[in-house]
Amino acid sequence: MKRLVITALMLIVIPSSVFAVSAEEIIRKLEENTVFETSRVDGDMIIRDRFGTKKSSFISYSRGTDDMLVEFTSVEEEGMKILRTKDELYLFFPEAEETIRMQGAALKESVIGSDMSYEDMTGGKGLLASYNVTLEGTEEVGGYPCYRVGMKAVRRDVPYYSQTMWIDTTLFIYRRVHKFSRSGKLLKNITISEIREVSGRQVPVRMVLEDTVKGNSSTEFIVRGMKIDIPLDPGIFSLEELSW
Amino acid sequence: MKFLLRLAWKNLSRYRKRTIITAAALAVGLGAYIFMDSWILGIEKESERNLVWYETSSARALDDGYWEQKDRLPLKYTIDEPEAVLGWLAGKKIPAAPRTVFGGELIMHKDPFLEDGSLTLRVLAIDPVKDDTVFRLKETIEAGRYLEPGEEKILIGAWLAADLGAEVGYPLTVVTRTRDGYYQTIDVEIAGIFNCPNPAINKGTVFIPLDTADRYLEMNGAVTEINLRLPEREDADALAAALESDLAGVAPGLDVKSWRDLAEDYLAFAGMKKSASNIILILVFIIAAVGISNTMIMAINERTKELGMMRALGMKDSEIRLAFLLEAGGIGFIGAVMGVVLGVVLSYWIVSRGVDMGGLIGDMDIGYRVHGLFRGAWHPEAMVTAFIFGIVLTVLVSFLSTGRALRRGIADSLRYS
Amino acid sequence: MKLYRIAARNIRRNRRRSVLSCTAIAAAVMGIVFFSSYLKGMQSDLEKNIVTYYSGEIRVQHADYERYDYLNPLHLRIEGYRELIREIEAHEAVALLSPRIRFPAAVYRDEETYHAWGVGVDFDREREFQNLDAYLAEGRIPYEGRNEALLGIGLAKEIGVGTGDKITVMTTTMRRGTNAVTFLVTGLVRLPVQQLNGSWILAPVDRVQRFLRMGDSVSEILIKLKDGVSVEETARELEAGLGTEQTRELSIKTWQEENTSYGFIKMAGMVYNFISLFFFVLASSVIVNTTMMVVFERVREIGTIGALGMTRGEIVRLFFLEALYLGVIGSGIGVALGIGITVPLSFTGIDLSSALQGVSFEVSNRLYPSVNPGLTALAFVYSVAVAGLTSLIPSTRAARIEPVEALRSI
Repeated sequence: MKRLVITALMLIVIPSSVFAVSAEEIIRKLEENTVFETSRVDGDMIIRDRFGTKKSSFISYSRGTDDMLVEFTSVEEEGMKILRTKDELYLFFPEAEETIRMQGAALKESVIGSDMSYEDMTGGKGLLASYNVTLEGTEEVGGYPCYRVGMKAVRRDVPYYSQTMWIDTTLFIYRRVHKFSRSGKLLKNITISEIREVSGRQVPVRMVLEDTVKGNSSTEFIVRGMKIDIPLDPGIFSLEELSW
Repeated sequence: MKFLLRLAWKNLSRYRKRTIITAAALAVGLGAYIFMDSWILGIEKESERNLVWYETSSARALDDGYWEQKDRLPLKYTIDEPEAVLGWLAGKKIPAAPRTVFGGELIMHKDPFLEDGSLTLRVLAIDPVKDDTVFRLKETIEAGRYLEPGEEKILIGAWLAADLGAEVGYPLTVVTRTRDGYYQTIDVEIAGIFNCPNPAINKGTVFIPLDTADRYLEMNGAVTEINLRLPEREDADALAAALESDLAGVAPGLDVKSWRDLAEDYLAFAGMKKSASNIILILVFIIAAVGISNTMIMAINERTKELGMMRALGMKDSEIRLAFLLEAGGIGFIGAVMGVVLGVVLSYWIVSRGVDMGGLIGDMDIGYRVHGLFRGAWHPEAMVTAFIFGIVLTVLVSFLSTGRALRRGIADSLRYS
Repeated sequence: MKLYRIAARNIRRNRRRSVLSCTAIAAAVMGIVFFSSYLKGMQSDLEKNIVTYYSGEIRVQHADYERYDYLNPLHLRIEGYRELIREIEAHEAVALLSPRIRFPAAVYRDEETYHAWGVGVDFDREREFQNLDAYLAEGRIPYEGRNEALLGIGLAKEIGVGTGDKITVMTTTMRRGTNAVTFLVTGLVRLPVQQLNGSWILAPVDRVQRFLRMGDSVSEILIKLKDGVSVEETARELEAGLGTEQTRELSIKTWQEENTSYGFIKMAGMVYNFISLFFFVLASSVIVNTTMMVVFERVREIGTIGALGMTRGEIVRLFFLEALYLGVIGSGIGVALGIGITVPLSFTGIDLSSALQGVSFEVSNRLYPSVNPGLTALAFVYSVAVAGLTSLIPSTRAARIEPVEALRSI
């Protein structure tokens, strides 16, 4: 309730003082907007590569910044689960008797053939803890006014040295993200093409991720349904219950 | 004794044809042995040389944590102040070349390439100025040119270039991680294509300038290894060990690995191969031995009558036997000389010309670090061995057969035809 | 004047000399026979392994598979393969076939990762196709429909598992998804090729199809043909016969068309021929030497028979016949000995495992020499000819010498 009031207050206050906000504030608001107490998402992933297009479906549960459980429901990946906790990433497969802990080089592998790596799923630490941010101005993305925020890494354990985010000036949700290599070459381009209101919160429901270096593949995430702040059994984020 | 020597010499010249034929049989065997040995040795030596020239150098200084993790090509275990080490080595007049090795994904796009694609390989960052004091990559540039410091250019192997349809000037992107772990991309242009006789390097390695890599990987001057060129004739292992303890005072925490340590996989492989080829050499020897034993036995048998005559003239058995042995030794000597000459001629051909096996082998990995021309090498030890073996073998064989002939009585021998 | 009788008598009379020269010839011929058998064993072993484990005599694949081989394109597969198998089996030249799915696999055990190759096979067919039972070192063959697997003995040792243990294998599915499955190791197989021994995991094809989400399809069908039929023709006939809709996108290739493996055999064949030639040269030097010695030692005899009125031509023929007889006897003994050594070894085999450590050749660890009839016959004829012909050189010369002079020379 308190959070809702604050958000509502901000929504009233901000448009009148567009240039008064600092980059830090923008990111803080962005994170508040995208991090939920708990959530459940029913979604699809459409992966395009040189061999064609495939669609996978999943249900993901999350709690705060750290915990996430993704359960695939499409025939191709049926029963596969990915569990992210604060420091670890585990994979569960219905026909495998052990859970597989992803570490080291294995983290660089792609998640079910998409343009997202397991590493992209890790790192629940806040953006502000990892990056120095600066407001570089406002630009329109797809017709919406956005803050353009430049981000430079301050920590060494993040994979991307710099990013640029275009954050909607009213919704405080990014509409575009560019992730760069250390030398400044665009590696990944994330575009959000649709934002919808769910339980009074604005959430991106359609997003495309492209690998801009290889340039022959893309992954689209579509949220079919979403519930926010629902009661979740905390046990689902534990390794013990992963195999259930 | 003088008499016996003269007798042996007389017999040799009297039975000139037999002498020559027997000696020739011996010569063919020994010559073949020397030839085979030369060829195998040549391939081995060239492999080792190509290892040292293009792959391992004579010895390499590494951070002491590196070796354990070497397969992952870590940037974590580095020589942080290579200048100190390089300066010390320069004082000792040891040529040295710093390098940084890292794993990367090479990305190419259709037009100018044949197809979009990527492949994971080893990238070697080399100091374009110092590298050719230790390695010989520069000499193998086939198209384009060598690297220059600081430029964003790359050298790729001819085999890889053929696979990718790459030519000088084509753009490539190397995707890797900086030392800290950030994603990094290096856009490079192909400066040159090398065709290195070491297939391991030709196949899956690319080269960029060290300072370019330093900038992109944020190494702050650190390198993963310093390669050394040591005098060829000296024991690399002992020198490496000595350098390791000397360097402890200059830059602590370094390992110095000799090329033998660095190439342990190859050496294990070559050892196995050698045992297999030794079997062939043994067979060559056996056939040669059968050849001479036969002629020697026959020669002695043909002359059993003469043997009886010598006895009748009052020579002692031991003297007779010595006379035969000296004669056999003479044949052995002539055969051995001929064999060595034949071996030298054949070796000369295989050493100077070699046999081009490139078409046969293609880009197949046969383990040896040789490609194209397979040459022989001079191996004086093998010639000496063959020479001595030839003489000993003939003498031994005649010793055994005279024994049998001497056991016969005088009258018997004289009747024997 | 019956020359052949005199020749035979001479051989009998100078028994020691005859025995010696026969021994020399026999040793040389035996060497050739044994080596050609050894090399033939090596070559046929290489062929057998390539045919059994890599390419079949004919291989059916999706037409684009080879091009994208390095990407492991499981979606370039053979759908409806059961029907295809029935069609192929209907061809009279086809003896055995083996549908397979090969896939790279990562084995997880105790937090360590090992790289391996999974092969989905129809075990009933494999028992015949690769004579699997003979290579089973321990345990049993997996049952269809169960998550069970056979491991190459080298791989099992590397991972540290044995029969009865379980391994978890992770791989990329046909549609680029990820999947992992736990297999019960039902047995270990001692595959004859070191490389496969250290990497293969054999599992029932129906489970592998499920694991890789491939439906009822396989990535390749290996075919072995009956003896004596033309591989080339059969492949073309199969291609023509399978003109239906779904087979049009398949490629049917003989193993000679598969560059890498056949090129390898060709190269091996050349190397072997070179080595054989080398042995022929060595062996001939022994024969030449012996034969010439025999004639030279008997210059005096030549003088005697010349003085007794034999013509030059007769003398030359006499010595030629003698050499020929000796050649036939020596070569015959040599062939017999060579075969005598080879045949027992062709059952027991020669252990090469230590020599092949770390070598990625497709040669078996145990090699079974097999008698090479062509080269054996050639060795026989060749040796007899060499012996006969070399006798002509000294005997024509000796026959030209005046009897008195010949008598003087001892």
